Order: sequence, then structure tokens, then C-alpha cells
Amino acid sequence: MNLVRGYLSELRREAVAGWNRFWFTPADPATLALVRILAGAMLLYTHLVWTLGLTDFFGRASWVSAEAAALAHGANEARSYVWSYLWLLRSPAALWTAHIAALVVFAMLTLGLFSRVTSVLAYLIAVSYVNRVPGALFGLDQINCMLAMYLMIGPSGAAWSLDRLRAARRARGRLPQAEPSTSANLAIRLVQIQMCVIYFFAGLGKLHGESWWGGDAIWGAVANLEYQSLDMTWLAAWPLTVAVITQVTVYWELFFCAAVWPRLLRPLVLALAIPLHLGIAFCMGMITFGLVMLIGCVSFVPPWLVRQLLSGAAAGCEEEHGAKGMEGLTRKGSRRAGKVASGSSRVKS
Amino acid sequence: MPNQPSNSVAPAGAAPAPMRWSPRVRALVSMLVALHVVALLVGPLSVPDSIMGRFLGRFYRPYLEVAYLNHGYKFFGPDPGPSHLVRYELELADGNRLKGVFPDRGEHWPRLLYHRHFMLSEFIMALSEPGDPRLPWEKQPLSERQRAYSRSYARHLLDKHEANRVTLYFVEHLIPSPQEVLDGMKLDDPGLYRTRKLGTYAADDFDDAVAVAKVAEERQ
Repeated sequence: MNLVRGYLSELRREAVAGWNRFWFTPADPATLALVRILAGAMLLYTHLVWTLGLTDFFGRASWVSAEAAALAHGANEARSYVWSYLWLLRSPAALWTAHIAALVVFAMLTLGLFSRVTSVLAYLIAVSYVNRVPGALFGLDQINCMLAMYLMIGPSGAAWSLDRLRAARRARGRLPQAEPSTSANLAIRLVQIQMCVIYFFAGLGKLHGESWWGGDAIWGAVANLEYQSLDMTWLAAWPLTVAVITQVTVYWELFFCAAVWPRLLRPLVLALAIPLHLGIAFCMGMITFGLVMLIGCVSFVPPWLVRQLLSGAAAGCEEEHGAKGMEGLTRKGSRRAGKVASGSSRVKS
Repeated sequence: MPNQPSNSVAPAGAAPAPMRWSPRVRALVSMLVALHVVALLVGPLSVPDSIMGRFLGRFYRPYLEVAYLNHGYKFFGPDPGPSHLVRYELELADGNRLKGVFPDRGEHWPRLLYHRHFMLSEFIMALSEPGDPRLPWEKQPLSERQRAYSRSYARHLLDKHEANRVTLYFVEHLIPSPQEVLDGMKLDDPGLYRTRKLGTYAADDFDDAVAVAKVAEERQ
């Protein structure tokens, strides 16, 4: 009995400590800042492309009428909670004005200007666009909105941003330290958890299908002319290769949620994401979707490694403003980080 | 490397930063995080329908809809299937006829814009409901939502081209087997396409709200 009580007591203690460590350990906002730059650029590009079909998709007689959209959103339900400010814009002038304002917001978010405000606006704008045109959407929009939502939570402009440069100017050239932030950790953890959920259910959903289990689903993707951007039909003569790619895809998606956490496995799991998503990008013409999934995977790159990778550009930028060395890393810290980086490259190789 | 949380502010070897939020704040945020993480599961559990998805959806639907989180994430599942296009024939005001299709690689560029139009045609398929097994594919009745979207596409095309009448066709493009491709079949072989009519719509079928708005716009 004492054995069980002792076990339960330790389980509770360790679970609480692990939960707190996972969600509430303050983290360097470097990874969040990188996600902001990449996701902001993707949001900007996505909405720049809407510009080419703005009146077709959002205008008075758009592809998706109010009646059709209401049915798609489930008008049979007692009440719909789907919202979009774009329904309120009746004239072309108002639509174009709002659209240009949206593009400015996404550009500001990418550059990290007033990022606390622009991250909230970017989320509201992104969700408004997708809720206006149900039927013209795909995975890109889901991931765009997910990233925009979590960027609202943390200080995404605390590194590599115009906000940072403005802070440096106010401090007369000396940058204040970018302090570890609990909300930065929280935001990144939420992205990570949602990526795990997405991959797990993407893998689980595939097991409903005969072709993913049978091993020829990838053929169905590469032989689809409407998706095709690179002719891969030579794979018809290589059924075993098709089966291997098919089943690696399923198992990678299913086990991502477990395999991405151990430190030594993480580089391998993330490395596999690159051919998977670039394959979707370049063989199936879904470049934006492939890239936005990789942006979600960036959330798993630890901040110190992000700084190592981006240190050249950032150090050059900040030294111009009189700052010495990398923010958040003292000289001692830099030496230490250097050692760690060489250690991590050994792990990765 | 020592065992550090991978998201740690510090490189391996350094102690993680101490907690900054008070236990009370952490407890409150923990509760919200737990509710949110459960919410993330509701969309995927509901597609396809499940008892657990239905049960959780009763509480979570408002949150999922407001936050745009009601997704199944079943990318390319359960099976990559045939693709779908919409072909249209317009009778223009000057008596000429105009034919087109969406998506159209020649017209819709860049690729993301092409994909938006591709999703429009695919959505007609996504809106289908279980049909009558006694009827062939071409004769299956359209669902209410398919009819609404078909009508919406027609209205857009009539307005854009200032046409009097439009007929829409739904085209399914089947995928050849590897053996068929090895035997020389092309992906655009005519035998891989089958077509059904969605409907014929006249400009007069639509209420005159569009015309009224147009006149008002011209006056401005």
C-alpha cells in the first residue's frame, strides 16, 4: 500500500514539476521572432496573391455568395460563431482600402514594427479573410491562422525586429537585454503542441484509407494532373519506392508527436520534414503549404540554435547601432554557445 | 550534452531561467492551456463524425468557430482521390459564346491563385452527401449546399462576363493506375474524365440586388 502511495505521490509531484517546466520556463524569444518573420512573410504573400483576385473572391458578386458561405459554415446549427469584417465592406473602395491596410499590417508584422499590436491585427485579418471565402481554402490557411494566433501571445518582436532597433535608438545605441520570457515559451509550446496534433491526426486519417495502408497513395498524389507541377509518373515503374515513401509518410506523421521531443531524435525528425514538405511543395505545386508546415516545424528549433544560425546577420545589423555582440548572450555566454553549437552539429551529423 | 529542455533559453550546460510567474498565475494559465489543448482535439475527432467529437463539440463549437480551429487536419486522407473541375459555357450579351474551366493553369497564376480556384471546384465534391446507390454518378441529386455553391459560381460568372446565361458542368478527372501509365496512357486521356451537368442559370434568375448595386456604384 505504501508502495502505491509513494508512487502516486511521486507521480503527482513530477507531473506538476514537468508541466511547470514545460509551459512556464522563461525562454529566449529568438525562435518566436524567427517564426514571426517567416509566418509574417507567408501571411503577406498569401494576401498579396488575394490582391490578384480581390473582387472575384471578396467583391459584390464574389465566387462565394453570402448564402453559400452561410451553408458552408453550418447554417443549420442554432447559431454560427464564424465572423469576418469583410462582410461589412460593401463598396469596392472600402474593400481595397481594407485590403491595402491588411497588407501593411502583415508587412509590419514581418518587419517587427509595433509587433504586439500588429500580431493581434494580423490574426483578426487572417481569420476574416478565410471566413469570408469557405470553399477557396486549404491547409495553408489553417496553419497561417494558427501561427498568427500564437504570435499574439508572446513578444515576437523582441529580436530581429524594427521594434528592437527603435529600442536601441531610444537607448542611444545600447540595446537592452532581450530577457527570457515566459510568454515567449508559452507561445512556442502552443505551436509545438498544435503541430503534434496536426501531424498525429493527419497520419491517423490516412489509416482510414486503403491506399495509405496498401502503399500506393503517393501514386495517387503524383498522378493527379491538377496537382502536378513536376512529372513524377516514372514512379509507375518503381512500386516499392512508392510504397516506402507512402508508409514513411504515414509513420512519420503518426509518431512525430512522440519522436520530436527526445533531444537526440529531434534533428532527425525535423530533417525528415524537409523532403516530405518540399516534395509536396515542388511535386504537387503546393509550395505555400509545404513551406508553411516547415515554418511550424521551426518552432522546434531551440532559441540558442536559432541565434547561432542567424548570428552573422543579426550581429552585423546590431553592431551598426553600437551594440556589442549578440543580445542576451554575454561574451562568456557566446563562448559557451559556440561550444554547444559545435557539439550540436556533431549530434546532427 | 546535459539533459536540458529543448526550448530552454540557455544552451546545454546552463541552468534554465527561474520561473517568473506566480503559482496563482501559473494555475490560471494552466487551466486555460488545458482547455485549449482539448479544443485542438475536437476538430480532428469530429472529422469523420465520432461520439467523442460530438460530445466535446457541444461545449467547444463556439470557441472553435471564433478562433478558427474547427479543422480535421486529414490532409490527403483517407485516400488521394480524383480531382474535380468546373467547366462553364456562357451566352454573352452580344450573342457570342464563351467557354472556360476552373481551375485553369493558363489563366490562374501564380500557383496559389490557381490553387484557390482548384479548391472552389473541389469544394463542390466536398459538399456532396450520400446519394442513391441505384442511380449512376451523373444522375445523383445535388445536395442543398452543392446547389447553393453552384448557383454562387454561376452568379459570379454571369456578373463578371456580363452574360445572359451560363451552364455549369462538374468534371471528375480519374487517376490512372501505374500499369495504365506504363502501357502508355497519358494523365489527360479523355477516358479518365466524366462529366455531369450542375445546372443552367440565367441572369434573370438572380434577384436584382446585383443590378441595383451596380447602378448605385456607377452613379457614385
